[in-house]
Amino acid sequence: MSRVGFALAVHELSERIRDRWVLVISALFALLASGVSLYGRIAEADVAALTGPSLVTLTALLVPLVAMVLSHDAIVGERDRNTLGLLLSLPVSRIEVVAAKYVGRSLALALAVVVGLGAAMAVSGPAGVRTLLALMGPTLLLGLSFLSLGMLISACTRRQVTAASVVVVAWFLLVFFYDLALLGILVISDGAVSQQVISSLVVANPAGLFRVQMMQAFAGPELLRNLGMTTALPGFAALCLLWGAWLLLPCAVSGLLLTREKVT
Amino acid sequence: MLAGPNGAGKTTLMKVLLGLVRPDAGVFEVDGVPVSIDNAWKRRIGYLPEAVAFSDNLSGQQLLRFFARARGVDRRRVDCVLEQVGLDHARRRAVRGYSRGMRQRLGLGVAILASPELLILDEPTAGLDQEGLGVLWRILAEWREAGRLVLVSTHDLALTERRVDDICVLRAGRVLVQGTGHDLRRAVDLPHRVWLDVDDHEPEGRQLREAIAAWGHGRVTTTGQALRVEVSPEELLELMRIQSRFPKAVRGLRVEEPTLDMVYEKLLEAEER
Repeated sequence: MSRVGFALAVHELSERIRDRWVLVISALFALLASGVSLYGRIAEADVAALTGPSLVTLTALLVPLVAMVLSHDAIVGERDRNTLGLLLSLPVSRIEVVAAKYVGRSLALALAVVVGLGAAMAVSGPAGVRTLLALMGPTLLLGLSFLSLGMLISACTRRQVTAASVVVVAWFLLVFFYDLALLGILVISDGAVSQQVISSLVVANPAGLFRVQMMQAFAGPELLRNLGMTTALPGFAALCLLWGAWLLLPCAVSGLLLTREKVT
Repeated sequence: MLAGPNGAGKTTLMKVLLGLVRPDAGVFEVDGVPVSIDNAWKRRIGYLPEAVAFSDNLSGQQLLRFFARARGVDRRRVDCVLEQVGLDHARRRAVRGYSRGMRQRLGLGVAILASPELLILDEPTAGLDQEGLGVLWRILAEWREAGRLVLVSTHDLALTERRVDDICVLRAGRVLVQGTGHDLRRAVDLPHRVWLDVDDHEPEGRQLREAIAAWGHGRVTTTGQALRVEVSPEELLELMRIQSRFPKAVRGLRVEEPTLDMVYEKLLEAEER
């Protein structure tokens, strides 16, 4: 990364720290995660049965929204403030501008997740700590995927308010509607669409992939088999490829879109 | 200085120079040498966009520090630039509390931060108060003295004329006329206005009025004791000669050359016809 790219990434991170975004999101994660962990501890519930799945549900809902809100103004915000031209007049390529913004905001998100979940570990029992530790990596992957998607939304829209609206719609579609739609297809098709296709479609969505991955981690393959989703979780290489694609592709497309743009 | 009506291509030309817009055709040359718009070129440029807003959460100092890091400029220069643009008193204040003129001055600070060889200023006078204009004129003078280039687009021709060497009037993406203010005035043939405060109590006053009437050139209008004569630059000298023959006739004299705004309007009118 060039000097400009590095400066921009640091600037993005420090701005998120300065405007207390990292602090607020860390506190939110810490509050919710420690709440669930404490409840599991008090209820002396089985991690696999209560704490783990509850945290997974909570994370799958919250993290995508937080990540997309974090990145939705990355490019369109510069357009709105009429500073995009000024930024791109610096000796740096447009792809690097997108990459630097992504890296800076990724670090902010990672910091919020690590601090938030780390704080929750302090009040959790040993089982809770293990659950939170297992949750950390996939949560970051989930967050960075949706952060990348937010960058794409930011590059495609002309106004920040439009980008914010698209983020809410995208969150609703990918986190709520997607699974329901697949369930609907499964029921309506009456077996015409195989379960394997449905399972593959589930993991094609990063929110679905996260849920399946974490369910397997907490409940084991047995529970997934009972749910008829044993084929859903791909092998390690395919898993890396899937996460890699979600992490990089939307961001790369944003860079290409910006490269082709006439900055007015 | 780039002048021209809205949509003439002033900002587009600047954006081509900044690599923000790709030209459909043509070559960009500096001193006859073709230049490609790459990062090496961008390092030589400072840019002030039109109506720049900046991130509200940052202070002026923090914003300049970011641009200093990005451009590899010594951190100590930030405070120096803030002082130069008259914002040292507001260096720690968030940009959200800045007036439009202060934001414009901050933008100017960003543009000059790396002491670039070429300064591109898009409508720099917009939103500036007298103090801000003073800052801008000082910077333009410094760059001029240092032999560096400044490209300014503006609608305030009269205000900017004295501070620039070369004026280029654009219309619909092409150069209408280019040269000094004097060249532009000559190109449109607008009359100079001469106001003569004639003392009619003196016999020479009457004689002067008669001499000008007999001369037969220029357009003469009388308003009370004042005589307004519209003449071409060539006729102006002759009129002065006539006037000097009657030294007691005139109590006051004022010569108005056509303003650049008038020249500009005339140019556009002629182009429309």
